[in-house]
Amino acid sequence: MLAIQLLKRNWRSGELKLLGFSLILAVAVLSGIAIFTDRLESTLISESNSVLGADYIVRSSQPHNVEWEKTATDAGIRQTQSALFSSMVFAGDEMHLASVKAVAEGYPLRGKFEISRVPFAMNSSDIEIAKAIPAPSEAWVDSRLLPLLKINLGDKVAVGEYELTVTQVLIREPDSASPFSMTGARLIMNIDDLPKTHVVQPGSRVDYQWLVASDEVQQLKQFIDQLKPQLNKHQRLVDINSAQERVGRTLQTSKQFLLLSAVIAVLLAGVAIAIAARQFSGRHTDQVALMKSLGASATRIRSLYFSQMFLLGGISSLLGLVLGSFLQQLIAVSLQEAYQIRLGPSSVYPYALSFLSGLMCLVFFALPALWHLPTVPPLKILRRELTVNTTQVWMQAALALFAVLTLVILFSRDLELALSISSALLAVIVATLVIAFGLLVLSKKWVVNLGGFWRLAFANLQRNRGQSLIQILVFAVAIMLLFTLTIVRTSLIEEWKVQVPDDAPNHFLVNIPPDELPHVQALLKESQVRPEPIYPMMRARLTLINNVETTEEQRSTSNALRRELNVTWSDKLAADNKILKGQWWDTWQRNESDLPGVSVEIETATDIGLKLGDKLQFSFGGLEMHAQVASFRSLDWRSMRPNFFFIFEPGSLDGYSPTYITSIYLPAEQKSFINTLLHDHPTILVMELDRIIEQIRSIVNQVSDGVLLVLWLTLIGGCLVLFAAVMGSIAARKQQAGLLRALGSPRQLIVGSICAEFAILGFLAGFIAILGTEILLICLQTFVLETPIQPHYLFWLISPVSGALFVTLLGYLGCRRVVTTPPAIVLREAT
Amino acid sequence: MSVLSSQVPFSNTVHNTTSLASMVQANAVTKHVPTQEGELLILHPISLSVNAGESLAITGASGSGKSTLLGILAGLDVPSSGEVILHGTNLSQLDEEGRAAVRAQNVGFIFQSFQLLPGLTALENVMLPLELRGDKLAQVKAKEFLNRVGLDARLHHYPQQLSGGEQQRVAIARAFASEPRILFADEPTGNLDSTTGARIIELLFELNRAQGTTLILITHEERLAQLCQRRIEIAAGAIVSRRE
Repeated sequence: MLAIQLLKRNWRSGELKLLGFSLILAVAVLSGIAIFTDRLESTLISESNSVLGADYIVRSSQPHNVEWEKTATDAGIRQTQSALFSSMVFAGDEMHLASVKAVAEGYPLRGKFEISRVPFAMNSSDIEIAKAIPAPSEAWVDSRLLPLLKINLGDKVAVGEYELTVTQVLIREPDSASPFSMTGARLIMNIDDLPKTHVVQPGSRVDYQWLVASDEVQQLKQFIDQLKPQLNKHQRLVDINSAQERVGRTLQTSKQFLLLSAVIAVLLAGVAIAIAARQFSGRHTDQVALMKSLGASATRIRSLYFSQMFLLGGISSLLGLVLGSFLQQLIAVSLQEAYQIRLGPSSVYPYALSFLSGLMCLVFFALPALWHLPTVPPLKILRRELTVNTTQVWMQAALALFAVLTLVILFSRDLELALSISSALLAVIVATLVIAFGLLVLSKKWVVNLGGFWRLAFANLQRNRGQSLIQILVFAVAIMLLFTLTIVRTSLIEEWKVQVPDDAPNHFLVNIPPDELPHVQALLKESQVRPEPIYPMMRARLTLINNVETTEEQRSTSNALRRELNVTWSDKLAADNKILKGQWWDTWQRNESDLPGVSVEIETATDIGLKLGDKLQFSFGGLEMHAQVASFRSLDWRSMRPNFFFIFEPGSLDGYSPTYITSIYLPAEQKSFINTLLHDHPTILVMELDRIIEQIRSIVNQVSDGVLLVLWLTLIGGCLVLFAAVMGSIAARKQQAGLLRALGSPRQLIVGSICAEFAILGFLAGFIAILGTEILLICLQTFVLETPIQPHYLFWLISPVSGALFVTLLGYLGCRRVVTTPPAIVLREAT
Repeated sequence: MSVLSSQVPFSNTVHNTTSLASMVQANAVTKHVPTQEGELLILHPISLSVNAGESLAITGASGSGKSTLLGILAGLDVPSSGEVILHGTNLSQLDEEGRAAVRAQNVGFIFQSFQLLPGLTALENVMLPLELRGDKLAQVKAKEFLNRVGLDARLHHYPQQLSGGEQQRVAIARAFASEPRILFADEPTGNLDSTTGARIIELLFELNRAQGTTLILITHEERLAQLCQRRIEIAAGAIVSRRE
């Protein structure tokens, strides 16, 4: 086939190399990131899901619909169930309101129970992974239940009317639930024993959970999509994002970042492809004219060139895919070594998507430049001065922009990300055209004062104004994308690190009785453990809003109306809290109703539909209390500090008896402090967040490493673009330099003017690039990443200077042969 | 040499009808080009006929319209009026696709600037037109013709590794390899020194004789024009003299 022969010859002659390499790079980066993200996501989700105990849980006050089980089994989805409730547990004369979890065979679907024969076990040698759930008639209990009930392993405890033998101490469990709703010690029992206890009666408060998990992500997703519409208002679907907002959010931003990098890498490669295609097209105009004079028809030419392009696209995309899978495997292996994390297999989707994207890049970035080739008139072979109608630049830009949008949407399925990138790109294009044009015009005025090569350089830029503008645009886009990626990466990693600082509180102490508080404080002081502020905590239910009962609709949209809330009073506003509307107590005044004030968390307030000044009625264990909304607050749930939806005015809750809550930071070596604390104060509930924090850290580290590699790949893409843009103009520069050399110009003048020209291009591009970077960052940070916006003053200096230096270096490397080769050869090659 | 009106037939060959022996026949072809001042007539009505196996030199100063005429005769360009019949096919009735097919079957070219593709070796350059026709023996034929022009030792050299004379010999091999019925040459010696030019002329005519090709060439060179059986001179877009 002639197209294959021509492709081979064109490749050998070097005309297709830049195009091919750009395409290989684009597909390699895309597939590398897409496959890696796919694997990382499924692995991390499955890991994070071990915190949840499943991939999804349907929570409800009623048992789940048994018909779902068959559908799930048919879809190959694993399932199990559990029931959570509070119940008095008796042992002789002792009793405790325990938090009971009755579990069915197979629980948990993700993660494991860690059990021990030693209460408060810390050493891994004492702890084992449970191979099954408690056998019928057996129970596993929290360490603290033993001193609370004054029992030992092997003793019996009664749950309702049924006696269970305590066979193991429960050290850790998945889905240990919110610390604030669970004050009792945990007891795990077999769900088959539940009817025998007779504790679950009609109307009992039981949290039924139906757990599902599957390694077949697509099937699971399909099943969940089918399930969603069948859920009634009492049934709530919980996944890792809703259950563990911190982990979910980190995953989400890191995924977005990786995708952003991928898109930027593709954009850069796309620009390189477009430039390479332009060069290819320029060189092939004569070839097409010749072929036409030899009798090749336009149809034949079209088919020959399109076949070549699609062959090149297919081969490059395949090579890119191979390189991409190799790259992601490299990251996966290093992750495995560093963090002992084995990534799961990837789905076919990222492979297929990357391959298609390669072809798409070619169609949208390269074909517009080649489109006119079949229309080259054969007469051009005789009359070289004939002009050829090429595809309009704006048309090429529009097609490229369309490709960018499609690619971003395909990869991220995120319209905001796509729009952010596209609008910033448009802004850069407009800014480039306006600024560069203005600067070039201005430079004409003061260039007369410049001597030597500067004048020559400016004259060249002025003469080829169109070409100069395109080069500035290309340089600016490349630099902008690289800076954006670097800045976003840095700020994201910083944000993640700030989010989980080394000394972030990693344990919550909940349910501290008021009379034990002084002793707990003394114990903390003695052990040199510094607590975060200690808050009184009371449980209350919001019953009336402006003397009207809450509606079913309000209850369905707000958790706060469905269950008891943890409330507090405080005179100080916590550091991570911010008043958005209304006033804090230092400036707030009661109005004529003289009701005490309450500050409400903003999202809760929005869900319920509260306004400032609304009168609320709370029920504190049957005691009514009225308050007026004084302010709305935002807070950071990721701060690892106690936070409350409702904070009352100091003194307003004096009549109600609170328990206390705080959070502390315990380094690993001080972990035994918990044993001491729980021995002395068995009613206190300790929530160990250190594992979750460790998990977040590990994710941040993994993702940062992956991101760094991606950044390097993108940098290569950027260099390729710059190189392509420089090389594109080298032939003309060589010819001019050869001529100057032939006329006897000194080496310094030629090299100097070439360097000066590239320096001006690079400087202008760098200046425009930082402008574009700021715009792009504002869009990204506002709409996509939701991180704070800040200017980057240093980059306003770095960008133009580094732009000038780098582009000059590339230009010098490309043109240096001009002055060392005899002018005759340079001129002959250039013609 | 008499100055003739371009409307007046310059030769004794039959005009306005198609002779079976006529390889190329132009009937009152003109060419206008649009300019800022309006349409400019760059080729006055020209009629001529060239029989199979004949050689015709078109001479004239730069800008006289030689290349325009050659382009029209070869079917690379279309006349503004009049018609060109090439090997019995009226080009004026064909679209570009049709003209391309006629060129593929009948026409070969030699250019002043050689027009070799820089990325292809000498052999590949000669193979290209054969490959475009789908000739399975492209390589064998290309080698044979390169051998005939004395470049059998340079098959795998790239154009920039060859001298000007060698490059034009590759171009000649390329032109003859596809065994065209008619060969158009645009200043084939224009870029060569006189010694090399002489050798190229010799080669061109030798191959022309051997292949029985019809040859139409543009030249400045008197020696080359003399070698052609017939000659016309063009000035300001009109035929001003002829030699039969």
